[in-house]
Amino acid sequence: MIEVNHVSLCYRMSAERVSGMKEFLVQALQGKLQYKEFWALQDVDFSIEKGEVLGLVGANGAGKSTMLKVISGILKPTKGTVTVHGNIVPMLELGSGFDLELTGRENVFLNGAILGYSEDFLKEKYQEIVDFSELGEFIEMPLRNYSSGMITRLAFSIATVVKPDILIVDEILSVGDAAFQKKSKNRMMELMSGGTTVLLVSHSAEQITEMCSRAIWLEKGTMKMIGPAADVCRAYEEGQA
Amino acid sequence: MNVKKICAYAVATFLILTVAFRLVAGEGFESGTVTSQMVREKAVTPEILTNTVLEQVFVSECDRITELTLLGTNYGKNVDDELRLTVLDGDGQTVASAGLNTAGLPDSFLWSIPVENSTGGHRGEMLTLQVTSVAGSTGNAVSLFYGDTISAGKYELDIPVEHPLSVDGDAVTGQLCLSVRGESRYPLARYYWHTMAALLVLLLLFCWWMIDSDRRGRSNLILRLLSAATRYRFLLKQLVQRDFKTKYKRSILGVLWSFMNPLLTMMVMYIVFSTLFKSNIVNFPVYLLTGIVCWNFFSEVTGSCLTSITGNTALITKVYVPKYMYPLSRAISSTVNLGLSLIPLVIVMLLTGTRLTVRILLLPFPILCLFLFSFGMGLLLASMMVFFRDTQFLWGVISMLWMYLTPIFYDAEIIPAQYMTLYKMNPLYHIIRIMRILLINGVSPEPKAYLLCAAVSLIPLFLGALVFKKAQDRFVLYL
Repeated sequence: MIEVNHVSLCYRMSAERVSGMKEFLVQALQGKLQYKEFWALQDVDFSIEKGEVLGLVGANGAGKSTMLKVISGILKPTKGTVTVHGNIVPMLELGSGFDLELTGRENVFLNGAILGYSEDFLKEKYQEIVDFSELGEFIEMPLRNYSSGMITRLAFSIATVVKPDILIVDEILSVGDAAFQKKSKNRMMELMSGGTTVLLVSHSAEQITEMCSRAIWLEKGTMKMIGPAADVCRAYEEGQA
Repeated sequence: MNVKKICAYAVATFLILTVAFRLVAGEGFESGTVTSQMVREKAVTPEILTNTVLEQVFVSECDRITELTLLGTNYGKNVDDELRLTVLDGDGQTVASAGLNTAGLPDSFLWSIPVENSTGGHRGEMLTLQVTSVAGSTGNAVSLFYGDTISAGKYELDIPVEHPLSVDGDAVTGQLCLSVRGESRYPLARYYWHTMAALLVLLLLFCWWMIDSDRRGRSNLILRLLSAATRYRFLLKQLVQRDFKTKYKRSILGVLWSFMNPLLTMMVMYIVFSTLFKSNIVNFPVYLLTGIVCWNFFSEVTGSCLTSITGNTALITKVYVPKYMYPLSRAISSTVNLGLSLIPLVIVMLLTGTRLTVRILLLPFPILCLFLFSFGMGLLLASMMVFFRDTQFLWGVISMLWMYLTPIFYDAEIIPAQYMTLYKMNPLYHIIRIMRILLINGVSPEPKAYLLCAAVSLIPLFLGALVFKKAQDRFVLYL
């Protein structure tokens, strides 16, 4: 389903941040254009089978989110390749495609299109999205009048309406009030148990052990360990302590 | 995706467009009328008597002369004379001749003399106009004006007088005030069908190659583009709708601004340039509005594409969408705007009594060129903007300079001849020129104009697309 072949990703950070043309030219002419290379990922190599739930653990800055971005195509690896079969729904940050000036209804279609849904699919599922988000009448109002809870509820409803081949989750999302949190958690569980390939990132080793069959432990961009979730998590927790 | 069906559509569209274009273009495509520019009057020749011979050498800009226009005076009297005008070629053979009865001519005015018996095929040749009088006598004769400047807008430009007027063999300091009007045939037009047939063969070969690649499961750029077009059509539609909806949201007049904006700009410029600066452009309101509409589109597309990547940082770093979607959606929503601003243009044409001809149907050609060119520039600017945020300020200055280098409110004739080649590098010059010929003159421009227009639009497009393609993978690292 997903094949990650010896992927490395390098951020080139200029020693002093150059963001102007004049600065760039001056420094280029002086030969001072030095870059500090920062390898966010180094030689990461694994593959995920269909229907598998894989967890990614690691400390802050270990490259977990970068890995997810590489797999979802946002970042292009410096070295190595990523092959993905099937459609991906990345649940990295919900509602980043929202336009506050548009109404809820217009945003459903806009955000749905950005996530790669087809027009017919959205028309068919529109009511389901509105119902799940519990927005009711507010759906015809511009988003700038929404509370932040309402926005995340709508975003969650759009993102999870589809049954994707591959679901990429950066931390299990629990949004809204207690009732909606429960509802959204159930929806996530439903998605993850329904034969979908899942890539899950979490700080909580406990959660990974509970939900995943296999896990990868990333540290400073390198793969420290890969194997059954329970073993990896135990090793990770021992390493932390 | 059905490649065969798409190919069939492409070939059918090509055939229909080829025939339709030739039918609509009609007048002006094979041959056109050329009128040479008259020098501004400076002095007047002596009275033209029976034994006077005026000789003026000129380079013919047309194939066949149809009319000669002279600027002359009869000193306020009713002169009863006849002028004989003979145009000779280098071998002394008569090319054209005509007579002008001087009775009842307006004083100090343009005298037009139709020429009927002229022979063809003299473009670029050095010809000599001889003017003699049949019965001119002192006190009963006319004189002609001559000069050594041309008027360009409000300026007068000195021109080098290579062939001065000669009066009885003596050269004077200037050229005769002469305007030669004639018919010019465009050799390129003769090969229209040949060119189109060749293109059709190429298209068929290309289709065959595509179908073959598709059957063997090989992918190529065009196939990928086609599949992307079907896959991302809905997204594009949504993005365009968003741009359009949010643009005028919370403004009272809303979409009416798309009509009002060019109209109001035109009115301001019209007042400024028809009162403060004198301009002798025919049908100035339409001339101005055509320029403004084109320029507004160009500046809107480049301006909005410029920030299309940096302004969508939140999306680009979170979701994978082909990056060209962002500038493309903005360019398309500007095109919708352009379509709306064509409505006031048509209204102004009707109000000024401009003849609406079938040639309006050719407008999609310059508009397409304008779109491709502006989009190409937009891609280039969008990629530059990611790496150098100075681009937006720099572009503000450059685009202002560019506006003045584009004939929006002045006539390109005022540009000194030695800078003309450089001046014509501006794609907008060619695009606006075609639009004006179509709208104001109601004829088709010469075939060369279409070719040039397409070439100068496609080059920046390819350049922009290339830069964008090369840079797009690194965008996310700099956002």
